[in-house]
Amino acid sequence: MRSALTSIAAILLLSGPCAQAADSPAVGQKAQVDHSMLLGTWTRVRDPGDRERVSAVTANLLHLKNGFGNTRASPVIIIATLPPLKHQYLSKWVDFIRRSHEADERGQPLATGYSHCLPDGMPTMMQGMFPMEVMQSPGDITVVEEAFRQIRHIYLNQKQITPITDAEPGFWGHSVGHWEGDTLMVNTIGIREEVRIQGVPHSDQMQINERIKVLSPDMFQDAITVLDPVYLTQPWSFTWTYKRDSTYKILEYVCEDNREESNSDQQNLKLFQGPTAQH
Amino acid sequence: MTMSSGSSAGWLCACLLGLAAATTPVFAHHSFAMFDHDHQIKLVGTVARFQWTNPHVYIYLEVAPSSGSGAVSAKSYTIECANPGILDRAGWKWNMIKVGDKITTVIAPLRSGQPGGLLKQVTLADGRKFDNGAPAGKASTAVEEK
Repeated sequence: MRSALTSIAAILLLSGPCAQAADSPAVGQKAQVDHSMLLGTWTRVRDPGDRERVSAVTANLLHLKNGFGNTRASPVIIIATLPPLKHQYLSKWVDFIRRSHEADERGQPLATGYSHCLPDGMPTMMQGMFPMEVMQSPGDITVVEEAFRQIRHIYLNQKQITPITDAEPGFWGHSVGHWEGDTLMVNTIGIREEVRIQGVPHSDQMQINERIKVLSPDMFQDAITVLDPVYLTQPWSFTWTYKRDSTYKILEYVCEDNREESNSDQQNLKLFQGPTAQH
Repeated sequence: MTMSSGSSAGWLCACLLGLAAATTPVFAHHSFAMFDHDHQIKLVGTVARFQWTNPHVYIYLEVAPSSGSGAVSAKSYTIECANPGILDRAGWKWNMIKVGDKITTVIAPLRSGQPGGLLKQVTLADGRKFDNGAPAGKASTAVEEK
């Protein structure tokens, strides 16, 4: 009997990426999960077909008859589920995506936060541009993302102590979390208005909820839901999956010399000036 | 990874492994639209400077004028590479290129016509070849020699 229960628990744990219905243990079952399994170094993995879905969504959004090739789609859109923006905001966002695409077509990409060495912030940080490390100290789970050396703290078993519209805005905001079985439930508030995921605008009432679920000793997923009563008609959800890379050591990253400079109107990138010898 | 026996668990196991095998853990940092990926060129030259920095590594290459070009002085190219992390993972080492090295590069040139581009492949003086990490893409098989 015990072995049968163990098998069922293992199936529940392993079935995450294949069957979303396994989010909660079956009645009468309690998932036996070692929360320390979340600790370590991880690399995000792209779900099969995701790149094609993102290309198709972008092409459809811009009414491109011939779509994108695999490598030509603008990297602005990274999520195949479109943001459920209210009508008055949606058209402006689509216009931004169109301008970005047209600038790419001209060979002059729009300047982005990266052009100014600015980090992703939340929730884009969790796209895992480069590997990330999850660490824990008493009461605090810390995520370090190699790209732009981003750090976020998730304070455990606390409630948000500041009213949402009074939370000091930042790139990564204020995150609190607690474990429910095999899932770390996280709530984040206090994201700066200009820190946007794929250019999607948000208000100071935006909240980011995450269900960080350990799928197996070597995989976890982050089911992210963005809530914003001002800009969104409904919650916007997407899920990213990560694979353990136990041999990798996070490198330092200081964005010190981006030679892809904005031109005078700060809109389009021009590439670096001519070379200068180091003598 | 410990797996339980039974056909259901086996199927789930195969599903998980399939997911892991089919995924690609690389994401573009920004658009590469300023480079002409369809008309790649080969540059043979001498390294004037090698800058191992974020967000990009740069190779500054002095390229002697080709015979018949009419040019009399070397042309200086600025070649953008990925970042140290991506290049580490692609097998590069921070000091594998040095000032004065004679190297061969394949680049996607700037659409603007400026002397520069995005690295696709570098061949070191000792013959070792390195690509520029997955986001930058592979070198084309049809390359114009400069």
